[in-house]
Amino acid sequence: MAFDIDRYTATSVGVAWSDLDLEAFRREPLPESSLRTLRYMADVEYHTVCYTRDLLTTPSHREAEMSAFMTMWNREEFWHGEALAAVLAMHDITVDYDALKANRMKLGWKDRLDPIKQSVLGGLVGHDFVAVHMSWGAANEWSAITAYQRMAELEEHPVLAELLRRIAKQEARHVAFYTSQARERLAASTKAQKVTRFALSRFWAPVGSSISSEDDVRHVMTHLMSGAEGRRAARKVDESISGMPGLAGLTIVQDALDRLGVAA
Amino acid sequence: MTQSVGVGRTPAAGSEPAPFDVRAFARTAQGSLRADLDLDAMARAGISHEVVRTIATLAELEGATMEHLRNVLVTPTHKDARVTAFLVSWAYEKYWIADALRRIVTAIDDAIASESTDAAAHASTTDAGVIAPRTSAGRGPIRRALAGFAQGPDVVGAHLALGYVDDLVLDLAYARLEADAAAEATDRGNAALVDAIARIRAVKTRHSAFADESARRLAASPRAARLARRELARSAWPLGSGSVATGDREALGRFAVPDAEARAALARGIRSLPGIDDRAVAAVVRRLGA
Repeated sequence: MAFDIDRYTATSVGVAWSDLDLEAFRREPLPESSLRTLRYMADVEYHTVCYTRDLLTTPSHREAEMSAFMTMWNREEFWHGEALAAVLAMHDITVDYDALKANRMKLGWKDRLDPIKQSVLGGLVGHDFVAVHMSWGAANEWSAITAYQRMAELEEHPVLAELLRRIAKQEARHVAFYTSQARERLAASTKAQKVTRFALSRFWAPVGSSISSEDDVRHVMTHLMSGAEGRRAARKVDESISGMPGLAGLTIVQDALDRLGVAA
Repeated sequence: MTQSVGVGRTPAAGSEPAPFDVRAFARTAQGSLRADLDLDAMARAGISHEVVRTIATLAELEGATMEHLRNVLVTPTHKDARVTAFLVSWAYEKYWIADALRRIVTAIDDAIASESTDAAAHASTTDAGVIAPRTSAGRGPIRRALAGFAQGPDVVGAHLALGYVDDLVLDLAYARLEADAAAEATDRGNAALVDAIARIRAVKTRHSAFADESARRLAASPRAARLARRELARSAWPLGSGSVATGDREALGRFAVPDAEARAALARGIRSLPGIDDRAVAAVVRRLGA
């Protein structure tokens, strides 16, 4: 079904949590390992504007629908970061703009070179490169929804579960946009299929990998995606990705878990 | 009805502005303006083609946030999380400003089309040639990213200065639109246009982070001021001009800065930035085609 961009923009809101009793986290704090995962998630959400940078170096930013989506998406993800930061604050963990800036400063040359690489690749591949970005985005957003759902199930903390449910609901609309764009662009071009398949199978890593230590990535993936249930969740994401034109048989999420040594 | 508030928003000499509260700004971000627009009244008001064309151009410019974001995010500006947090909500507010302006244009165009049988008489302001296909204006992302390596964090102040000056330019256009419509405001349609423009200007006064933060950074760093002078001189004005036809961009420049008084107001605003001189002012005015 085509994505209704007008409805999306008209109903895009920052996630709200003022009605939730965050004091519950003082009474029943989350364990350290869960806070580490939440911190990872908050960093990823706040980093959306930087991920956007790479997307903007391709021709896609000039399309009205894409521009509208990115505007709303950025704002919604920012508020996800704020929501998760609010939970962390109840555990006396501060994620403020100075801390985020310090993390971004640590990213080094790879971070500086990324937009140049993206621009060059975009120029070489041409308009089909947008399909790569859309498919990549779909994979990331599916993973994000899965991560929030798994976190909510594992923690069994009612306030956290409700907050993560609200965040996941917004992520579902992001998935809808990315997949509708990806499907359309992949269906229209075998070149797009080939480039996307190559890029995803060779380079995709769990969202947050480029801004976190491998230790942190391994921790989060082990926390959320290990064991039979975690692997089943990963398989579901892979089925969604591989269901897109030209991507049959891809198992990028399970492959990433295997590479990280996350037990099935 | 107020004159251009560009000058009025600049920090007074010698005073230290309170740090811009990004969270409060984000929390109160203004979304859709549709419910506040009396489009029917505006459609029947007989608003001139020049005014409608100006509004259409402003719609394109306000909607060109992603291009500006790209230009700044490929540089070290993307590392400053307070600035990027501001830009995220800024882009959201400008999206809805562009939406409101487009709706006004469409309402007027539709009204003209339904009334007139003469195709030449009701040439739509959305005809090709008025809203040009978007092209890249000036330096692309690779050149900007490479320049960013050398510029370092001082470029953040320069980018904020660009945002401030762009707001000055556009506010001159809005001020004239509001003033001209107010002169006809016994007519309900023009009164509705005055109201719409006033609402848009009120939203844009919330973007004072550009003024406050650029002033602070340029005052603190001569290098930032130097980078700002260079960026002001090299940018295509108004920002986002790659998305409009040259003729419309120049028409907007002439509309916004029609005379010496407007040029002086713009110059005062630009010069209020620490370290920004008359050469930078002259470059902006020249590139505006004013």
